[in-house]
Formats: sequence, C-alpha cells, structure tokens
Amino acid sequence: MMFLVNPGKFNKVADYVFLPVLVSSIILFSIGLIFAFYLSPDDYQQGSTVRIMYVHVPSAWLALLTYAIMTLYSICGLAFRIPFGFIINTAVAPIGAVFTLICIISGSLWGKPMWGTWWVWDARLTSVAILFIIYLIIIFMNLSFENRIVREKVVAIFILVGSVNLPIVKFSVDWWNTLHQPATISKLSKPSIDPSMMTPLIIMTFAFIMIGIAIAILRIKTEIISRKSYLS
Amino acid sequence: MIILNKVISFYYREYKLNLSGFQDILTNIIFFFVSIFIFIFSIGPDKETISSIGIGIVWTLLLLSSTLSLRKFYQDDFENGNLLIMHLNGLSFGLIAILKTFSHFIFVQMPFLFSIPIACILLNIANHDLIYLFSSFVIGSFILSCLGSISSSMNLMNKRNFLLGSIIVMIFSVPIIIFSVGIVNLEENFNSLISILFGILLIVFAINPWASGLCIRLSLENN
Amino acid sequence: MILVKDLSIERSNKKIFENVNLSVGSGKIILLKGKNGSGKTTLLKAILNLIEPSSGAIYWKGKLLKKNLYNFFNHVTYIADKTSSLSKLSVQENINIWKKIFLSNISNSQVDNILKTLKLNTYLNQNVNSLSFGEIKKLEFLRLIIENKKIWILDEPFSNLDDESIHIIGQTFEDHRSKEGSIIFSSHQESEINVSEKVLL
Repeated sequence: MMFLVNPGKFNKVADYVFLPVLVSSIILFSIGLIFAFYLSPDDYQQGSTVRIMYVHVPSAWLALLTYAIMTLYSICGLAFRIPFGFIINTAVAPIGAVFTLICIISGSLWGKPMWGTWWVWDARLTSVAILFIIYLIIIFMNLSFENRIVREKVVAIFILVGSVNLPIVKFSVDWWNTLHQPATISKLSKPSIDPSMMTPLIIMTFAFIMIGIAIAILRIKTEIISRKSYLS
Repeated sequence: MIILNKVISFYYREYKLNLSGFQDILTNIIFFFVSIFIFIFSIGPDKETISSIGIGIVWTLLLLSSTLSLRKFYQDDFENGNLLIMHLNGLSFGLIAILKTFSHFIFVQMPFLFSIPIACILLNIANHDLIYLFSSFVIGSFILSCLGSISSSMNLMNKRNFLLGSIIVMIFSVPIIIFSVGIVNLEENFNSLISILFGILLIVFAINPWASGLCIRLSLENN
Repeated sequence: MILVKDLSIERSNKKIFENVNLSVGSGKIILLKGKNGSGKTTLLKAILNLIEPSSGAIYWKGKLLKKNLYNFFNHVTYIADKTSSLSKLSVQENINIWKKIFLSNISNSQVDNILKTLKLNTYLNQNVNSLSFGEIKKLEFLRLIIENKKIWILDEPFSNLDDESIHIIGQTFEDHRSKEGSIIFSSHQESEINVSEKVLL
C-alpha cells in the first residue's frame, strides 16, 4: 500500500492501472447509461425525471468522498510530513469541484419539474453550495501563493478547517426539515430503493469513481513531474 | 508574573497603535452607516419592509464592515518584523494569536456595538429586539474575530489576492448569521440558540491558536 | 554558550549550506560573511529556531536549543534587516513602548545619552515616518540597549548607514564585548569592527 504515500511507487502503479481504469470507466458508463435510460422503470411519483438520479447521486457522493480524501491527505501531510499528501491536495481539488458542480446543476434540473423551482435555500442545497465555494477557494489559494511551501501547508490547514462542512452536508437532511429527500441508501438499514433502480445507480457510481480515478492519475502524475526537482 | 506583565504591555502597545490609527476604525463605522443608507434607498423607505428585514441587514453589514479591516490584522506587524520580536520576547505563536484576537475584538468590533442602537433607530427595529441583537453580536463578533485571525494569518504570504481572506471569513460565518438572526426572530428559542452560538465560539476559539500559530510560523519561516 | 554543530539546511531540496560549525562564547564577536543568497539570514533564523535544520543541531548552554527555547529567548536580542518601530507614533512613544514590552528598567537619562550620540535627540517628538531611512535604522539600535540582553544577533546591521554611525555602533559592540556579552552579525561588506571569529558562508 506504499504507493498511496510514495510518489515513485505511485508512478509505477499508476502506469499499470491507468489503461484498465480508463477502459473500465468507458464500459461502465455505456452499460450504466443503457440501464439508466432503457432498462430501469419510471418512478410512480416522479416519472421519467427520476433518471437524473443516476448522475446526481453518484456525483454528490464523489464530491464528498473527494473532500474526505483531501482531508485525510492533509492530515498525512501536516502531521506525518508526507509531501505526497500536498501533491494529492493540489491535484484532486478541481476534480471535486467539478463533481460538486455536476451535482448542483443536475440537482437543480431535477428540482425544477419536482419542486417547481431551480433552487431553494434549504440546508442540504446551501451546504453543498458552500462545499463548492470551499473547493473554489482551495483552487484559488493554490493559484495565488508564490511560495510553494507556505502554499501547500496553508491549503492543507484550510482543508482541515473546512472539513467541518462535511458532516453538515451529510446529515443536513436528518438534522433539519428540508425539502430535499433524506438519504435512500444507508448501511444500517435496508435500502428503500427498488433493486431495478439500485443496479444502474451502483453501476453509475462505479463509472464515476473510475473516471475520477483516471483523471486523478493524470493530474497527480503531472503534479509529480512539475515538482521533480523538489522530490528525491 | 513576567508573562502577565508582557501581556499587559502587549495591550499597551495595541492601544497606542489603535489610537494612532483611530480614523481607520472610524472609517469602518462610516462604511457601515453609508451601506445602511444604500440599502434603504434601494428597497424604498417603506417602514414595514425595513423593519421586517432590518436585523438581517444589520448583521450582513456588520459582517462586511468587519471583514474590511482584516488585512491589517497581522500584515503590518508581520511586515515590520514585530511578530517575530513578540515571539522572541517570550510569547508563543499561539498566545500571540489569542492576544491579537482579543485586541481585534476590543478595538475593531466593540466600536460597532455602540453603533448598533443608532442603526436600530434608522432601520425601525423594535426596542425589545435590541437586547437580543446585543447579546448575539457580542458572541458572534468574537467568533468573527477568531475567524479573521485564522484567515488573515493564512493569507500573510498571499501577496496577489487578499480578497480570498475576506471570502474565507464570510463562508465560515454563514452559521453565525443563521443563528444570530434566528435569535431575534425566534425569541422563545433564545436559550438554545445562544448556547449553539456559544458552542461555535468555543470550537473556533480552540482551533484559532493552533491554525493561526501554525500559519504565522510558516510565513515567518519562509519570508 | 551557543554551539552550532554540523548544521546543514535544505530548502525545497536545494542545499543552502552544509556542515557549519560555530561556537559563540561570552566576549566574542562573530561575523558571518558571504555573498547575497549564501544563507546568512537563514543561519541566523536557524539559530532563532525559526527554520528546521535538515541535519545537525544547535545547543544552548549544553542542552538542545529546542528544549530550552524560552530560556534562550530571555538572553537574546535580534535585529532584522527590517525596522520594527511603529511609523505612526513619535520616537518618544516608540521608546516608551519598547521599555514596557521588554520590561526594561533603563533610566531616561541613559536613553537621552544614547540618542545624543546617535544624533537623534532633536527628533524626539517627531513621528517616525518623518525620519530618513538611516535614522530609523539607527533608532532600531536603541533596542539593543533597552533590551539589555547578553547575546545580540544582527542581520546586516550596517546597510544604509554612514561611516560615523558605523563607528558609533562599533564602539557599542566593543563595550558589549567588555561586559562579557557576545554578538553574531552578518555582513557582506568590510567594516572596521575587530571581530574575534569570521565564518565564511
């Protein structure tokens, strides 16, 4: 598992893994989209618009997952002085931002026919919007510091401070009465979703994860090359 | 005992510094009032509307005007080397952050406390709301000071884009605004909301010396 | 008192200097000499525990400096290449603030004497920002006397100063040496000061 913290080993593993990941993401995407459009039933309440879920839910999960990964790597970078953590932070932030943006846009496309409005100021939507702005701040901080050492550490501290938003996003539907429906899938209880909808959702989630990993590998490798002079 | 003397002399220095820059603090307050005028002109002088959104306006503008002077929080002392001298004088970076936060609270935020009653008159806010506004402001502004300390210490080496510092404060002040305005609108929930605010204050106050101290140290190291 | 042992410092995996050895005893004046970017300021910052050395260690009175930091700070005055006086306040107010901050019990007549030798006594009630840069720099040296510590660490003390002021400061250094104090300072130019050890970086 050393490839998760060591740039040299990461490069080696990434070279093997990149092509399979890319191919499998393409395959999973095509299967998932076929399932989503043709092989899954309409919802009895929401009609055909329920198919937006197959994009909305995976991107929301990945937006949170990306931030959680960044938080873990910030702790690695700051506490255990592993410089690879900072590389991951710089490389992965735009990916998370894009996932959050996809989540917000698909959500508001879904909200227009269902709730009759593009946007409501309830807890879940607001906290996701804040998550998006936090991602943007991280990206801009990465661009605006001149000194590299200060930049990566300050960004890591900011990521740690900003991670208070994660549980707020996750539990906002449970803590407050919101328009947004509560989570349909959770580990502890039986999922309240029909298996015919569950299959495409899971396939799409894996497709999103794979495409995320593929882009992340590319970005991390570029980041490593750009710092070649600093790393031994 | 020596450390107490040093803390007292630290505040003597801050007092002298803020007294000589008193017009800066006054400018913040003038900004606050001018933006109230702008708000009233833009939504019309209807008494009902103004008093229904008055609390929200006051809180928004308090937040905006207190983020205006954030750049001064550490920057001056950082650039002329006084932060380093304070550290060499026996104050750890975390302690400097705490002392500076209190100094910001006293010298920058407290003048707003005196301008709130006037703002309430201008915005037609009922007298019995004033006490709620006061109590939420005292706690909320201290949270703002802590957040300001964190964000301005993060941006000490950021020469290009300081506005990020203000945005960081504004993003993290969203819960403060929600709960502080909630105190006035839901008076029966006063106790629970004020304890939530107090809880946020404790969390931020605990993070502040760690985060600010680390950032100050980093910036001094690499300057 | 200060012992620097095999100190090497890397920044961004670029070696700044390697294996510097230095021992600062009482009554010694040490000059760090080198070109721009040779790491004079970095070494001074490392002695003040601001920069982590990549290898080697610094000892203070036989103990590791890191473990004994605030005791060390009680004995050291650092003058950076910046001027720390508050520009909006007058010279007198700055002196008052310094006296309070450093808990100094120096008498007013002593301060007046020094100001007279530095030719600053006429500016006592003027704001610092109306002084010239060299005068502000001279004012900074007043801190050495006010703090009254044993070890003086100075970064480029003679830049922007005329020969006469350098002479006065050289005499102050000699005074301090005779009082068993020690001085480390960095410079890129020759000066008349009689140093006991020269370290080339």
